[in-house]
Amino acid sequence: MTATLTNPLRVGLRQERVISPQCLVIFGASGDLTHRKLIPALFDLFRQRRLPSEFAVLGCARRPWSDEEFRQKMEVALAAKIADDPEAWSTFSSGLFYEPVDLQKQDDVVRLGKRLEQIDRQRATRSNRTFYLSVSPAFYGSGCRALAGAGLLADPKRSRVVIEKPFGRDYASAQELNRVVKSCGQENQIFRIDHYLGKETVQNILVMRFANTIFEPIWNRNYIDNVQITAAETVGVEERAGYYETSGALRDMVQNHLTQMLALTAMETPGRYDPEAIRNEKAKVLQAARLADEAEPWNCCVRGQYGPGGTTSDPLAGYRQEPGVDPNSTTETYVAMKVFIDNWRWQGVPFYVRTGKRMPKRLSEVVLTFKEAPVHLFDSSGGGNPGANQLILRIQPNEGADFRFEVKAPGSGMRSRPVDMDFSYDESFGEPSDEGYVRLLADAMLSDPTLFTRSDEVEAAWRLYTPLIELIEQQPWQLPVYPYEARTWGPAAADGLMARDGLLWRRP
Amino acid sequence: MAPQLTLQAPLELPPQDVSDYLGRLWSGDQDQANGASTFSLVVWQPSWIEQHLVRLGRLDGPITGLERPELLQAARQATPACGLPPSTSPLAPELAWQLGQLPGEASADDLRGQHVDPAISRHQPRRLITLAPTLEGQKHLETLVAAYCPLPEEGPVTAVCGDVVVMRGGMGALEQGLAMVNPLIPAELPCWVWWNGALDEAPQLFEGLSQAPRRLIVDTAMGSPARALDVLCQRAASGQAISDLNWYRLLSWRENLAMVFDQPGRRDALAHVVQLDIDVQGHQPVQGLLMAAWIADRLGWTLEETGRAEGDGITARFRRGDGEMVQFRQMPVPVGEPSTHPGSLVGLRMVCKPEHRPPLCVILCGETGGCMRLEAGGMAQLELVEEVVVSTIESVQREVSRTLRGGHDSTNPLLAACVPLASRLLPR
Repeated sequence: MTATLTNPLRVGLRQERVISPQCLVIFGASGDLTHRKLIPALFDLFRQRRLPSEFAVLGCARRPWSDEEFRQKMEVALAAKIADDPEAWSTFSSGLFYEPVDLQKQDDVVRLGKRLEQIDRQRATRSNRTFYLSVSPAFYGSGCRALAGAGLLADPKRSRVVIEKPFGRDYASAQELNRVVKSCGQENQIFRIDHYLGKETVQNILVMRFANTIFEPIWNRNYIDNVQITAAETVGVEERAGYYETSGALRDMVQNHLTQMLALTAMETPGRYDPEAIRNEKAKVLQAARLADEAEPWNCCVRGQYGPGGTTSDPLAGYRQEPGVDPNSTTETYVAMKVFIDNWRWQGVPFYVRTGKRMPKRLSEVVLTFKEAPVHLFDSSGGGNPGANQLILRIQPNEGADFRFEVKAPGSGMRSRPVDMDFSYDESFGEPSDEGYVRLLADAMLSDPTLFTRSDEVEAAWRLYTPLIELIEQQPWQLPVYPYEARTWGPAAADGLMARDGLLWRRP
Repeated sequence: MAPQLTLQAPLELPPQDVSDYLGRLWSGDQDQANGASTFSLVVWQPSWIEQHLVRLGRLDGPITGLERPELLQAARQATPACGLPPSTSPLAPELAWQLGQLPGEASADDLRGQHVDPAISRHQPRRLITLAPTLEGQKHLETLVAAYCPLPEEGPVTAVCGDVVVMRGGMGALEQGLAMVNPLIPAELPCWVWWNGALDEAPQLFEGLSQAPRRLIVDTAMGSPARALDVLCQRAASGQAISDLNWYRLLSWRENLAMVFDQPGRRDALAHVVQLDIDVQGHQPVQGLLMAAWIADRLGWTLEETGRAEGDGITARFRRGDGEMVQFRQMPVPVGEPSTHPGSLVGLRMVCKPEHRPPLCVILCGETGGCMRLEAGGMAQLELVEEVVVSTIESVQREVSRTLRGGHDSTNPLLAACVPLASRLLPR
């Protein structure tokens, strides 16, 4: 054996939390998410021996498929994965079932209950069920009601509901949906999924902060000058124009993924590693967050929309030219904003949040820029004062963290230059992390809500952006959509947002 | 959490009436009847040490079969009185044997099978059948039956109930009663058989209870190493699901060793291992052999020869994939504060000599034992990585609970792959 690609001793060691016997019921099983994310994630869990033998998946949708048709369709979709381990697929797929169900029809729900009882007997799944609502958001409330009405959520220990994003369209609709959902079951039965929280690197923010004593004393307004949170995508709207036209970057990315990163970065230390302790702190920090200028949000927010770009050999269409997009659309594909958190830890520290499509690079990161040294004893080798220290948490790609600090530049003088201390997941662990859905599906089936958003978190996140949403809907001219060329870092106005504070966006 | 007692006093029935009684208990004409559709669990629960300690007045009753702190403390205190070395595990069979030689007539209630640890009751077993052999070998068979509804500590009460059946008596009576066990196991539900004793005791009962496709839970830290490894080999090879608690206890050791080589820069060293040394507590070698066999299997080594080393140790030579040899030595070492389980790993040393790099020496050391033997001498020229392996002390009931929580109908493939090698490592 020469150099090994993977660590042979690592194989099979990720089995510490085994999922209890149960049936996972996927509503919307004929949709994309099921064959692109959910079934592949379950198959990964199966191959890691994290699923018990007493396990079943019941796909539900309106299409009149049979069990066998459902299995065949999944087999086609997962062909590449199955080729690695056809024997495992054969065993796994014997636990896949399908039932045509329209949750709006009482008879269907009754039939669903009977089918579940039958699966309990057939697969010994102990009446333990996870219901995954991968349906149109319009059916989240009625879907929960139908399940509760049929008594399928009666046992809080053995039934849970996973709800995909978006959870509401604004503060009021999120409140209403929470009211409906909570009338159907207990809060600890409801798992509002945000797949960003399934990423190892997002979870690592917690570990970096709270497992090391070196960061916590300086993680506050006394030492940190500003925080930048970026999620940039190189892709355009692709096949999601229908959905995206009604959501835009603010609803699609900021209210959920970026806000979760903000919460994890800014939250207080929980008393213990416990789902409620962590979610309490996340909710508290979001409740303390506000737009930098709520009265005149145009002073702290910039919207943009990508126009044509690329090269002559590889031209890229602008957003308005994408199939399915209104040629006069004012939907934002880029948004940048400045947020403050009114608490003792963060008072006065600006958090700059930005996301966009058709950016030059695909990356997500959190950058904490520390205050400059109070007195500059040394000049920088590049001229001027030495730069501020930065801690960069790389969420994706090249997952890891960088700490940028000054050292003496070699030579006879006493000039400083910045260097990076780098931690890379690849270098340290050499193993790819699980897909976010693998972690989150497993957690939901384990009834562990730590990485799911609680009702008050969701509402606080919507409330934070309410002034913006109201402005966009009622006085859109106050917050114009600036065009930017595809494959650039957004409109010039976004740079202006930073320039007003004497700062620049980090160019990764 | 305190153990839970059955809600009703167990009803003693003649053995031949048990099946009918249970059938009536869950028959559909009783409105509230709601038997859990989960699994059944058959437990071989000899609790020899507990029975002896109670008989000798060294432990207050009742006899519960649970691995409680008072039991472990009384067993540790009894060890020197029995003339055994201080490093004897409190659950070692030799302690049971020595206690059996001492006179004593004290008695206490025998509640084995009626005290259910919450770690197990939380999984709501549909039927819990306990076989409880008594010290008195000629004792006739007693059968006790009770309905059992675990009450959740929080949240609304859902009446999902099971039942417990206790078969108590001398070994001969239990063997005669074996025929009544099979009809009591619901065919439609998975069934686990937890053999909570040495695998070389009561072979007839073991064979009778452990038929496929029942899933076995055993502990190879107890009893004859050869018999334990043979059972593991046979059952894993036959495709029957067998879980070994002794193997699960290796998890933190395996994790720590894997962690050392997670860094890609160290991976290459795994292809150049030249020496592996393992220290175990006392003279029960199985856990150490499973560890060595797992490493050998993962790194693609083949066993060339095995033998005895001075001081009841085991030596072996493996051949690596590139033809080079790996020296293996496992030694029993005394420890001041013995682990509950005989033969627990105390230390591990792996020496690698990669090309064009300094040799690497990895030492893993249990947090309660010393590693002086493994740390001794000749390592000045080596890159040294030393880690302390944290002991995860769990009651055996909690260990079983983890198996029941997410059961598989097949043996863990890593265990199945390394067991034949571990068996061959044991000099016969």
